[in-house]
Amino acid sequence: MDTDMKILVVDDFSTMRRIIKNLLRDLGFNNTDEADDGLTALPMLKTGKYDLLVTDWNMPGMQGIDLLKAVRADENLQNIPVLMVTAEQKKEQIVEAAQAGVNGYIVKPFTALILKEKLEKIFARIG
Amino acid sequence: MFENKELITDDNIARVKDLLVCMEKGNEEDAIEIIDELTTIRETDLYQDMGKLTRELHDAISHFGVDDSISLLAEKSIPDARERLNYVISKTDEAANQTLEAIEESIPICESLNKQASELHDSWNKFTNRELSADEFRALSKEITEFFKETNGLASIKEHLTVVLLAQEYQDLTGQIIKKVINLVGEVEDKLIGLIKLTGAPQLKNEKEDDSASLDGPPVPGIAHADTVSGQDEVDDLLSSLGF
Repeated sequence: MDTDMKILVVDDFSTMRRIIKNLLRDLGFNNTDEADDGLTALPMLKTGKYDLLVTDWNMPGMQGIDLLKAVRADENLQNIPVLMVTAEQKKEQIVEAAQAGVNGYIVKPFTALILKEKLEKIFARIG
Repeated sequence: MFENKELITDDNIARVKDLLVCMEKGNEEDAIEIIDELTTIRETDLYQDMGKLTRELHDAISHFGVDDSISLLAEKSIPDARERLNYVISKTDEAANQTLEAIEESIPICESLNKQASELHDSWNKFTNRELSADEFRALSKEITEFFKETNGLASIKEHLTVVLLAQEYQDLTGQIIKKVINLVGEVEDKLIGLIKLTGAPQLKNEKEDDSASLDGPPVPGIAHADTVSGQDEVDDLLSSLGF
């Protein structure tokens, strides 16, 4: 995995953003930015040349699923890999995320190992 | 509603017989008197029943009025509970941030010590294999002195660990607060059930249907939700069944 890649972490809880950032740093990814919901994330994605989006689902403003749909609908962003990290465990929602084009789905609480595995899987597919 | 058992008595039967006799004889005055007597008996029963009903209603209403615990719940306990829960959020937030801060300050110290120790280890191996020149050895002994200075970082890691330790006090405080709120919820539940019984509203048999469009949030053991997965393995299975 290219550890220089630029990653945007979106979650409304600052502690969760901090945990994810620390885990990513531990995996060698130091180039990370944060946003607290879809509405702040989307303009950042449009200007920031990000290589990966890690997003929560349940957030005020714009939810993660809508952010994912907006990313897939934008021709400049549609190929960004998106990893969803969420407490939502309804089958219907997982299916919805899959249909909207999510690249990985992690349910909270999660471990450092699961994050590593999912990232490796995403980048192995993309090649 | 009316208690009729008092109506058919020997006295009343005698009255009705007298009434028949009076009417057959054309004795209107006595007949009216007997009818009046019977009516009074009937009305007395009616008034007694109405009186009883009125008293029950009065008791129910005054009991409801005297029992001010419901208004106390609404005006004081529930706003208090809201404050308590907000306090829980701020305490857990504070603890998480203190812990994260201590960890974020400790990690670079660990990484730096780890790197230096592994470099020293390499040099030391060269030294024991007699691969070091005299100059290199002098450099190594300088590095070792530097490393000992750097190990002061261990003391600050220990301080950070103490911060992490103390930050866990939130568990005790928030646990007590949440227990109080759980008790309050139980009390509200009891009052609501009492209110439903009092008003005679039919109990709803069908639970409100699960609103699939809403987000459930974190799963809680003991609270079942239809069509949910439990854990990452099931998510992975579901996604692979969809071709992921």
